[in-house]
Amino acid sequence: MELIFENYCDIIPDFCLFQEYLRKPIPTHIRINPLKIVPETLLTLLKEKGIHLESANEKYDTLYYAPGLNLSGNLLEYFFGHVHPQALTSCLTSLALSPGHNTYILDMCASPGGKTSHMSQLTDNTGLIVANELYPTRHFALGHTLDRLGVFNTVITGYQAQEFPMKHRFDYILADVPCSGEGMFRKTREGSVYRETRGKVSLPDLQKKIILRGFDLLKNQGEMIYSTCTFNPDENESVVNFLLKNRDADLLPIDVGFDYEPGVREWKDETYDKQIQRCARFYPHRINSVGFFMARIGKR
Amino acid sequence: MEERFGIPEKLFDDYLLFSRKKSWTLVRNGPHVISASRLKVAKAGLKAFKRVGHFVKPTTRMIQTFGPFATKAKISINEVQLSRLLAGEQFPVHLGPDQGYIILTLEDGRILGLGLLIKGTLRSQLPRKEVRQSMIGEG
Repeated sequence: MELIFENYCDIIPDFCLFQEYLRKPIPTHIRINPLKIVPETLLTLLKEKGIHLESANEKYDTLYYAPGLNLSGNLLEYFFGHVHPQALTSCLTSLALSPGHNTYILDMCASPGGKTSHMSQLTDNTGLIVANELYPTRHFALGHTLDRLGVFNTVITGYQAQEFPMKHRFDYILADVPCSGEGMFRKTREGSVYRETRGKVSLPDLQKKIILRGFDLLKNQGEMIYSTCTFNPDENESVVNFLLKNRDADLLPIDVGFDYEPGVREWKDETYDKQIQRCARFYPHRINSVGFFMARIGKR
Repeated sequence: MEERFGIPEKLFDDYLLFSRKKSWTLVRNGPHVISASRLKVAKAGLKAFKRVGHFVKPTTRMIQTFGPFATKAKISINEVQLSRLLAGEQFPVHLGPDQGYIILTLEDGRILGLGLLIKGTLRSQLPRKEVRQSMIGEG
């Protein structure tokens, strides 16, 4: 059997099981949107239609697997804005950040809006979220998602994330950066290696610029999540380590109620800061979702 | 909204209305809105109204959010009727001499969006690209 992502065999535990899960279809996962419906009511309505949801974690009343439901976008409940199809690990970024009510939030790379709308849900449509997305062609999809889900506390901007204007300071920042997308492998069936080969700017270089700008945009005591959907340490720990070297940043513990592996301390010739172990690596064979990485960063 | 649907005006006390070319958006008000106004904003909040000819029409999403507070110009339809509307059919409803936009709900009370009542005949104003026949009875 051909190994997938073989270069990570030393850092991904239980590598055989990991391989097995990469070949399994990803289960459908939906997030219930309490901005428009009480989760219990929706569960009852879906049950009447013969759709049974399975809780992803007892800690959350909005996260559910939907076995047997391939196209949740074809539900009337999708039109109502009662549900949003979103990978479980993708939901965890907003939960790890847990923005408070009436706060000022920046989503640096917001389209297509799943995480933005989730943060709006967590803040109960209070405060303000700046949903930044560089590409105007993605603004329509972003705006549509936010409107469908009944989000009133956002403004959409179109800055380059790494050059977002410094005249603001935010309580919470989500930097879900462009990445090679290796963690999506089960979804896309494309074992992407690196976008660098496509003649684009080096992803780690871009990611380093974004993480620095994000940190600089934080208020004191503010918090930021840096996240990717890739396994590649060059885009994960290496980027976070770069921040630790260049700014007075703290890595904060992550507790989202799901198992994860700590960040790796060494990769290639580099040894990272001890704090890196506070990063979270979510693997498909541990959480049965797409692979994800996140770091919760605090500013003193 | 109050005059047509009986949706209390005070519900909008916490919101700001922004005008665009032929539409209006609604944003939750708060101290950060002033700060964000210094940014180059492509869109603020939820698209709430648009101009249609001489009329101002609330969007589907606006009605889905505030429709539950409506006390008039509201009608319940079943899934068969919804299917007919989506197929482009019109059918008579008995709401007296009233004409104009009307809130459509399903029998369980969930707000679909708007219909248009003209001379006792109801036609759909639901977004065709977003709500499809295949969604009805799905499961």
